[in-house]
Amino acid sequence: MNAPDRYERFVVPEGTKKVSYERDTKIINAATFTIEREDHTIGNILRMQLHGDENVLFAGYKLPHPLQYKILVRIHTTSQSSPMQAYNQAINDLDKELDHLKCAFEVEVEKHSRDF
Amino acid sequence: MEGISYQRFPKVKIRELKDDYAKFELRDTDASMANALRRVMISEVPTIAIDLVEIEVNSSVLNDEFIAHRLGLIPLTSERAMSMRFSRDCDACDGDGQCEFCSVEFHLRAKCISDQTLDVTSKDLYSSDHTVVPVDFTDNAGYDSTEPRGIIIVKLRRGQELRLRAIARKGIGKDHAKWSPAATVTFMYEPEIHINEDLMESLTLEEKLSFVESSPTKVFDIDPNTQQVVVVDPEAYTYDDEVLKKAEAMGKPGLVEIYAKEDSFIFTVESTGAIKASQLVLNAIEILKQKLDAVRLSEDTVEADDQFGELGAHMRGG
Repeated sequence: MNAPDRYERFVVPEGTKKVSYERDTKIINAATFTIEREDHTIGNILRMQLHGDENVLFAGYKLPHPLQYKILVRIHTTSQSSPMQAYNQAINDLDKELDHLKCAFEVEVEKHSRDF
Repeated sequence: MEGISYQRFPKVKIRELKDDYAKFELRDTDASMANALRRVMISEVPTIAIDLVEIEVNSSVLNDEFIAHRLGLIPLTSERAMSMRFSRDCDACDGDGQCEFCSVEFHLRAKCISDQTLDVTSKDLYSSDHTVVPVDFTDNAGYDSTEPRGIIIVKLRRGQELRLRAIARKGIGKDHAKWSPAATVTFMYEPEIHINEDLMESLTLEEKLSFVESSPTKVFDIDPNTQQVVVVDPEAYTYDDEVLKKAEAMGKPGLVEIYAKEDSFIFTVESTGAIKASQLVLNAIEILKQKLDAVRLSEDTVEADDQFGELGAHMRGG
């Protein structure tokens, strides 16, 4: 009866930003990104990609509550970088990795369909 | 400011590919990527499924909502789904799902007039779009496929009738499992098994045999000629540690060493038939790319921070 609509799980409500950014008030080069309507799928790949960046001192994500459809990604970097730069870099790298993966997979499918 | 790129170049090798099944190796990436792909395949690749049902006549033994639920679970061929619109953001209609961009209409009419029980199946659903039809499971192999096998919806006795109109829409598995194109998607780490040959040679044939037998799955065997223990199928290993415990119990720790290669995965993908297994993987990659694009920082957030950055620099005495 009073169950929330199922689409609330993946549709960003009007007037809400998909990604918001908040600097840490005490630590320089640390910030928290709040990503609306995302979960472990995005959180975990971002976190692992950030761990590969040597200017990132800390990167972690959490899903605060299973019924709050958002994740928090916290990044702390060295002075050589900034959380925003590291975040953008991680997304760009993942995007390129997926491009590469897509091509590689298409080539393999092509190879396989020719064999039969 | 441009940082250094930490991009990886994953490798793919397909081992087996059928319309509804794929098995492939994914290398040079990490578990987070493998798991993200798995999750996207299960719950975020769109398909088409019946979502609204208007029952005109139903004198069958099943109630209306029971039948509506069963109709929803029938997989429909969904090659079109990626280019379709979600009915909630379709501009051409009021979201009642009756336009060609976001919905497909189905009709079903069945009445039993004989004493024989009538099976109403997915074959009785008539689609308004020939590209979106119930998935056909008949084997093309050919051996005695006398009756076309559809998915049974309800059985009717003499005089019973079912007449309805249904609207299928695009959706994702996160919304309802009926929209999930994946039957199962799994991945495992590729195991790396090393046998300590010197230690193994110190065993008698009987001991070797009991070692081979200790694995619940057939990972090891004994070469009939040389009587050496060999690894026949490393991927049969289920990370159950039974052989390691056995080696320990025999007083020979280190007889075998087994590692999980943390950058190599073996995927198995089974599709419901809504889309081909190979297309399912490609769609998942595409969806994941779209998701990443959606979480890029917007211009105004960056600007707001630049101002804040200057302010911060002043505060720090910069």
